[in-house]
This record gives sequence, structure tokens and C-alpha cells, in this order.
Amino acid sequence: MSSQPVPGPVGRPRGRRLPAIFRYEGWQGLIFIAPAVVLLGGLVAYPLVWTIVYSFGDTNSKLDIVRWVGLDNYERLFTKDKVFLDRDVFPPDGALVNNLKWGVLYTTFSLAFGLLIAILAARVRYESLVKAVIFVPMAIAATAIAIIWKLVYEPDPDLGVANAVATGVFNTDPIVFLGRADTVNYAIIFAYVWASTGFAMVVLSAALKGIPEEIIEAARTDGANEWNIFRRIQFPLLSLPMAVVTVWLTINVIKLFDVIYVMTRGGPGTSSEVIATQMYDETFLNGEGGYGAAIAVVMLLLILPLMAYNVSRFRTERVVT
Amino acid sequence: MSVAAETLARPRATPAERLSRFVARTPVHIALLAIAVVWLVPTAGLAITSIRPRDEIQATGWWTSFNDFAFTLHNYDLVLDNAQMGSSFVNSIIITVPSTLLPLTIGAMAAYAFSWIRFPFRDTIFLLIVALMVVPIQMALVPLLRLFRDLGLNDWYLGIWLAHTAFGLPLAVFLLRNFFITLPRDLIEAARVDGASNLRIFARVVLPLSVPALASYGIFQFLWVWNDLLMALVFISDSDLFPMTKRITEMQGTYGAEYHLLASGAFLLMIVPLIVFFALQRYFVQGLLAGSVK
Amino acid sequence: MRRKLMLPIAALAALALGLGACGGDGGGGTKEGTGTITIFSLWGGSEQEAFQKVLTQFTKDTGIKTKYESARDFLPVIRTRLAADNPPQMAIIPRPGFVAELAKDDVLISLEDLGLDADKINEQYSDTWTNLTTVDDTVYGVVAKANSKSTVWYKPNSFQQNNFQVPTTWNDLVNITKQYKAKGKTPWAAGAQGDENSWTLTDWFEQIYARQAGPDKYKQLFETGEVKFNDPSVKAAIDEMVKIVNDQYMAGGIDTVLGISFVDSIGRVFGKNPKAEMLYEGGFVGGIAINQVNPGLKPGTDIDFFKFPSISEQVDVVGGGDVAAAFVNNEDVAKLMEYLSTPEAGEIWVSTGAIASPNESVPESAYPNELVKKEARQLKEAKSFLFDGSDLLPGTLGQNFGTLLQNIVKNPGDKDKLLDDYQAQAEQAGFGSA
Repeated sequence: MSSQPVPGPVGRPRGRRLPAIFRYEGWQGLIFIAPAVVLLGGLVAYPLVWTIVYSFGDTNSKLDIVRWVGLDNYERLFTKDKVFLDRDVFPPDGALVNNLKWGVLYTTFSLAFGLLIAILAARVRYESLVKAVIFVPMAIAATAIAIIWKLVYEPDPDLGVANAVATGVFNTDPIVFLGRADTVNYAIIFAYVWASTGFAMVVLSAALKGIPEEIIEAARTDGANEWNIFRRIQFPLLSLPMAVVTVWLTINVIKLFDVIYVMTRGGPGTSSEVIATQMYDETFLNGEGGYGAAIAVVMLLLILPLMAYNVSRFRTERVVT
Repeated sequence: MSVAAETLARPRATPAERLSRFVARTPVHIALLAIAVVWLVPTAGLAITSIRPRDEIQATGWWTSFNDFAFTLHNYDLVLDNAQMGSSFVNSIIITVPSTLLPLTIGAMAAYAFSWIRFPFRDTIFLLIVALMVVPIQMALVPLLRLFRDLGLNDWYLGIWLAHTAFGLPLAVFLLRNFFITLPRDLIEAARVDGASNLRIFARVVLPLSVPALASYGIFQFLWVWNDLLMALVFISDSDLFPMTKRITEMQGTYGAEYHLLASGAFLLMIVPLIVFFALQRYFVQGLLAGSVK
Repeated sequence: MRRKLMLPIAALAALALGLGACGGDGGGGTKEGTGTITIFSLWGGSEQEAFQKVLTQFTKDTGIKTKYESARDFLPVIRTRLAADNPPQMAIIPRPGFVAELAKDDVLISLEDLGLDADKINEQYSDTWTNLTTVDDTVYGVVAKANSKSTVWYKPNSFQQNNFQVPTTWNDLVNITKQYKAKGKTPWAAGAQGDENSWTLTDWFEQIYARQAGPDKYKQLFETGEVKFNDPSVKAAIDEMVKIVNDQYMAGGIDTVLGISFVDSIGRVFGKNPKAEMLYEGGFVGGIAINQVNPGLKPGTDIDFFKFPSISEQVDVVGGGDVAAAFVNNEDVAKLMEYLSTPEAGEIWVSTGAIASPNESVPESAYPNELVKKEARQLKEAKSFLFDGSDLLPGTLGQNFGTLLQNIVKNPGDKDKLLDDYQAQAEQAGFGSA
């Protein structure tokens, strides 16, 4: 749709009944987008600005600002708040670091499983059945996913299947996956990988199928083996869809809230706290609206590069089409 | 589809060839089977737990239940009635339907303008809207709460409808505009030459041709709102209005790990999205691909 | 067509213009009621049913309807509703520290403003309780419910089988713990998962600290901040606490303690498939165990409690109380507030076995079983009563104290550093600097 001059209607019989001002097509366009713009302006952009303003203040229990504190909230967040960022230990710890762990592990594993399943499933007749099984968790609420996996991880081997396997097959003591600081993050990450693999699989599977059969056949005729075909032909062609999935999953990580809220509330201690759960707790549990706003601003700043990528992708795309 | 195409394209294999191909693929079959088991077991565990009596749940694992075969729907009775999941089910519908239809309508209107009407700053405004797509809800929670307070919208569903609508709009505009611009230009210009107004072209030409895109977005937004917890936590305060997500977290707080209630509650929460998903899977996947790969 | 379109747009524009408008509490006196009172607290399940009986009687007497709402996550919900200007008309607040905060933020209605005679109401309560509702000499509510938290729950028949005597000293209790363990049993269970359940650990600490460091230091630690959180007395109490709260003696180890909720821990001791022998938590454990977790329990044989054993200092009871307070000023609310302070309401409530009443005029005969009778007696006869300290800590310190203890029981070796950090937090919040 690079440039499409849409000729405006002239001298229509219907047009006569309208005031002249409406005959200018630009007004009609503005009217069509007005509800969207008003809603987005009033309920997204305007609050966004306010949250930034909030982050420079302190609030009372009604979340009204009672005084301005300048950059204190940010200073506290990055230098004094060990729940958010603990630099006294090595490697550093805290909600921000947990989000980083999530970003790396959750994204990598969702992509890897998604790709693996897309490739394997393409080789069997029951492809659609396998894909449906993997994809179904996409429709399930994070709240339900949390309950499903809480049951899996129950410490009692007569209740949780993970510990039934651990004690029955591997003969270990029951592992309290959600009660140990060294397992809790990985346990929740795995649960969420389980839920998101379907997305990566569907996108990558579609991209794989989009690769023209002739290219692959030609390579086969040239004597390339399956691995080389994957590495030299399919994988490079998958780089764009993989990047897109990665961006989508990373945004997911930064916004991550429900599954942790329901599974552990950030516990044990603050081991599984992430930015979004801490933002909620600071604001609504502790009544520190200004401090919570500062955390929300950090979330936004983390998302900005992804937003830039989305917008630029859209721009190049326009040139292409 | 592709499976069928593949078998047609190849010359008919002899049984021996087929067998050897099958054997060669045995590792693939085993790997897929293992993956399918890992993906099915957690949900199956929840489903089975939800129909086991409380005493059984506390005494033995759900995987042993095929031995004694004691199943009951009593948990659903309890959770629907005493735990108020029944009324929450209705609340979830009341929250979700307008929160899906509003952004669909408003978003489609805007998307039409961005595709087929020329007006000043069109592309700039569109880019701004696309940029808003990833703004986290956290950036708006407290100001929205106060805005709704000033407007008196906090004691009913109005606030959460508007909040979901606003945060669902960028994706609606983006997805639908991408679809609308692929419609044949001749068709729209022919309508214009016939003297149809923009509203008429939108309603009579563009919308009917865009059912797949509208359905894709509709499913997305429906699942998103139905599954949302954060907005419900903040914008729904009256316990008679709780949607299911919020009710389940509340149940968990009150009763702890009483899985006869939690499992049946969670299953009720899942059932509508699963029906929507299976019935409209095609649109869902299309929308997903349109929104991500395009 | 286009005109029709203008209407919704105009409506949206109006909405947008309304952004700047501002709401606010019109002061004024007691207004006429609306016929329905919304009342909010954190009790669900059996505790909710018990309170509902009181409300039902109130409706029968006055014709005013009530709507009970609850959330285990009391603080986030009440703050959200205050920010939304949609508070419940009344709430039963579990943390007196929060009553003070709300009173200072000017969102609570005092008894006087409700048109009630605060002095007359307070006559029925001892100072321990009225202190909780009084902020800067103004009375903001009534203590609806009292808890002893100096109650250790055990199984009398199991004690009998093993020839254990009810312990009166801390060392006795540690000995019983060791003997249970030696016999291959798991002595204890606890549930302290997340923000919602970490209070079970603060309760453990408070019982021990009060009895080891004494009431004066206890008050200096939690109320005035004169004793620092990294004081040797605090460390000594933690050393005692981890003699029991450790991997060895807790069902499933500390990981499980930090991985399950308070209600689940009751199930682990008194459920149908029990895994442990004793549970330390407040008087409300009995009600939840019998009314919700396992209705088959027989008080006195399957379940009973003894007073938290003494260490070196004389303290009878460390306990808590929930304050009924009003956010809306109307006649209906005033009536319910007054009703909750009457012995009649107290009698109905205690008859459910869920609570003990702080109201001194509620007769002992109103209690349905020996367990709650004993708890009420313990409260009434206490010569020295200390209030749940972490509930008195201001602002976020109360919640963070729970997190602190979660971290300490997990890694007792880190306690010095963790306590230093917490003390720094307290000082930053201005606690104890006055």
C-alpha cells in the first residue's frame, strides 16, 4: 500500500445533504479513528504520562501523592532495594535478575522446543494431532496453568506427579520445587515454557512450510544431507520468524505476572519475585504508589527497544509491500 | 493438509518400503510420543483430580485412580455453588463480551480509515498506535484507577470494559489494517463511484470480506480478557462481580491446597477458552501468524 | 448515518473531558443508611460462616441487610478499593498498625463522628484492646475479635501413647520434639508461603522473643524501635526458634514450610492423612481444623492446645485482635458498629467455636467447646498481654519482617547480615529514630 491516492467522491447526490465540512475526506478519516484515538489517548497515553509523574512522588494509602521526592524512588530501586536488585551477592539477585533469567531461559527453551517439535511433527502423519496437543495450553489462562503446575509440583509424592517420579523412579527425597530458592524460578519457567512452546511451534512450522519444496529438493539432488539442509537452508530462512517470536516472548517475560502471583506470590522469601509482581506488591500491598510507579517505568524502559523493533519492522514491511 | 499432499505426490510405496521408512522414523515417533506425554500429563492430572473425592485426593495420587475408579461430580457442585464459581462464570462472560466487541468495532473503524481514507498525519498516528501495542498495563493501573474514581466507574464493569478496550485497541488496529489493505482496491473504488459513503463501504464491503481477520482478533481478545487476572484484581472490587480468575486465587487463599476445589475451579475456567479454541482454531492460528510473522 | 456516528463519539469526548474532574469526600455528619452494609475482612471458609451468623442476627434485629466480602489478601484489596474511592462501608482490619495508618490518612470514621458513645463502648473492654482502636485520643472502632497466639496445638492421644507431659518450659518442648523425631515421627508442621503466610513465622519469633527478652524489650523492639533488629537479644531468639523451625523437625523440611500455606499446615497435622504431630499458631487453628479441615476431630482427644511454654521471662499471652472500623458515615454503619460491640453479638460469634471475644461481658458458657473456652480463659486471665508485634510495625516493615524470617529460617547462618539489612531498612523508614 506504498502510496494509494484514494480519489475522493465528487458531486455525489448523497453528498448534497451534508454540510460542506464533511465533504473534505480528511474529516471522515479523523471521525473514523476518533473513538480509538480518544480511548487510547485517555486510557493509555494519559495514564502513562501520569505514571511517570507518579514515579517522582510518595503516596498515602489512597494512592494520592503526598510529596515529591525527585529521583529518590529510582535511587532506592537500584541501590538499596535488595528485592529488586541485590548486588551484594554474586551473581547478583533480585526481581530484575529473575526477569533476566526468564528472558534467557524461557525464550530459549520455548523457541528450541517449538522448533524441534515443528521439525519432528512435519515428518509424521499425525502432525496435526501432535501440534494440537502442544498448542492447547496457549488457550489456558495463566491462572489455570499455575494451578495445573502447582499440582504437578506438590511436595507430597502422593499428590504431585513430579515428586512421584522423583521419589519413585530416581529414588530421591521429595523436592519442594516451589519452596526452594534454588529451584523455584526454574520450576515456574518450565511451566511457562510448557504453555508457550505451542506459539513458537505454530509460527516456526508455518515458516518451515513456506520454504519452497524445490529449493530443498535441489539441495537433496546436490547430495546435501538432512542436517545440512536444515543448517544451510531452513535455519537461515527461519531467522526472521525466530526473531519475531523472540521479541514476542521477551515482551511476555517483562509483563509476566499472573503465573507467579498464583503459584508463589514471589516466594519463598522473595526468590521468585519479578518486576511485575514487585510493582503490584509495592503499589497495592505496601501502598507505595510512587515507588510502584518507578518500577512500572523501568518495565516500560525495558520494553522500549522491543517497541522500536516492532515499529521499524512495520516500516520496512511497508516498503516491501 | 500437507500430510495429504505429501502422500499424493509420492509414488505408492510397497509395504516393505513403508515398513523400512517407519522403522527409520522410530526415533521420531518415540520423541514425539515423549513430548506429547509431557504436554498432556499436567492437564490430565488436573482433569482427573477434579472428579476425585476429596479424601481420595488427599490419600493417593491421581494416577492411581484407575485402580479404584471412584469418581464424582460433587466437587463441581461445591465449587459452582458454595465457592461461587457459578456466578463468577457469568461475571466472566459479562466482562469478556463487551471487552471483545468494543475494541473490535472501534478498532475496525480506525483500521478502515488507516487503510482506505486519506487524512493528515495518517501514517504518524498509525505508527503511534502500533507503538502503544506493547505498553504494559502496569503503566496505567493507578492513574486509571483514579480516573475511574473521578468518573465514578469503579463500582461496576464499566471501568474494566474501557480498560480492556483501550489496551486491546492497538492490536486490533494493527491486525485489521494489515488485512484491510490486502482487499482489492477496485472493489472499494467501484463502491465509491457508485456513491457509497465511507461508512457504507466499511459496513457493506469491507466488514463482510474481513470475517476471518475479525474472527482472529475477536478470539485473541476474548481469550486475553477471559484469562486476565491483573485487571480484575485492580478494577473489580465488589466480590459479587469477581470473574473466575480472581475467584480462584481467592479460593486458593482461603482453602490452601484443597485440590478438589482448585482443580474443578481451574477446569471450569479453562473450558470456555478450550471450546472457543477448538471450534475456531483455524482463525486463531491465522491471527497468530498475521500478528507475528507478517 | 453520519449523525448517528457522532453520538458515541460525543459521548467519548465527554468522557475524555471528564478526566480532569475530581471527586472527594464531602465531610458532613452521619447520613441516613442505604439499607445495605458492605463489610469486608480477610476471613473465608469456616471463619466467614461463623461471622455470617452474627450478621444474620443483626439483619433479623434491625432489618438492615449486610453484604460480607472477603479477601485473604486483605491489604492489597483494601488499598485498591480506597484508591478507587469504592471502599467497603466497614472493614475488620487484622493489623492495628494499619488502623493507625488509615486514621492518619483520614479515611476512617471515628466512633464519635458515627454518633456513638466511645467511652461507653470501651467500658466493656480492657485497655489492651481499646489501645488498639485509639489513635491520638480518638477512637476509630471496636475490637471485634481477639486471639491468643500463645497456643501450641497438639494431639492429646498421641501425647498419651508416647507418655509425653504437656510441656511448661521451652526446653521441655524441645525435648518432646527430639523424642518424636527419635521415634521416627515428624514433630512439627508450619506453612509460611509467600507474602500471605509469612506471618506464621513472625508469630513464632514473637512468642519466643517475648518470653526470652521480656516484655520491655519486646515493646522497645516492635513499638518504639529503641531496640535494634540486629540486637543480640533478637539473634538469641532466632537461635532458639531454629531449634524447632528447621529442616529436621518440620514436615518436609523448611522448603515445605516455605512452599505451603497456613491452612495446608493445619491439614498436615490434623487432616485425614496427617504427616506431623504439632502445630504452633493462634487460637483460630481449632475452629479451622474442626469446622473446615477435618470435621471428624474430637476436641480434647484428637486436638487440643497448651500455652506456649515459658522461657526466662514472665509473659502470659502474646496475641492479636481484629478491629472493626468504618469507612462510610451513615446510620446503618453506626448501628452495626454498636451491635458488634455488644455481648449479644459476641455470644453468637463465640458459639460457633471460631473465635474468642474480647468483650468482658460475654459469658464463658457461650463457648461451644473446651478449646475456645480455654482460649477465652487464657485471654481473660492473662496478667501480661503483648500484642502481635509485627502487626504493629509501621508501613511495609510488618510485611518485610515476615520475608526476613523466611530468609533466616532458610539460611540461619546468614542471620547477622539479614538482620543488619532489615535494621537499615527500618532506619530508612524512620522507625526508632524519634
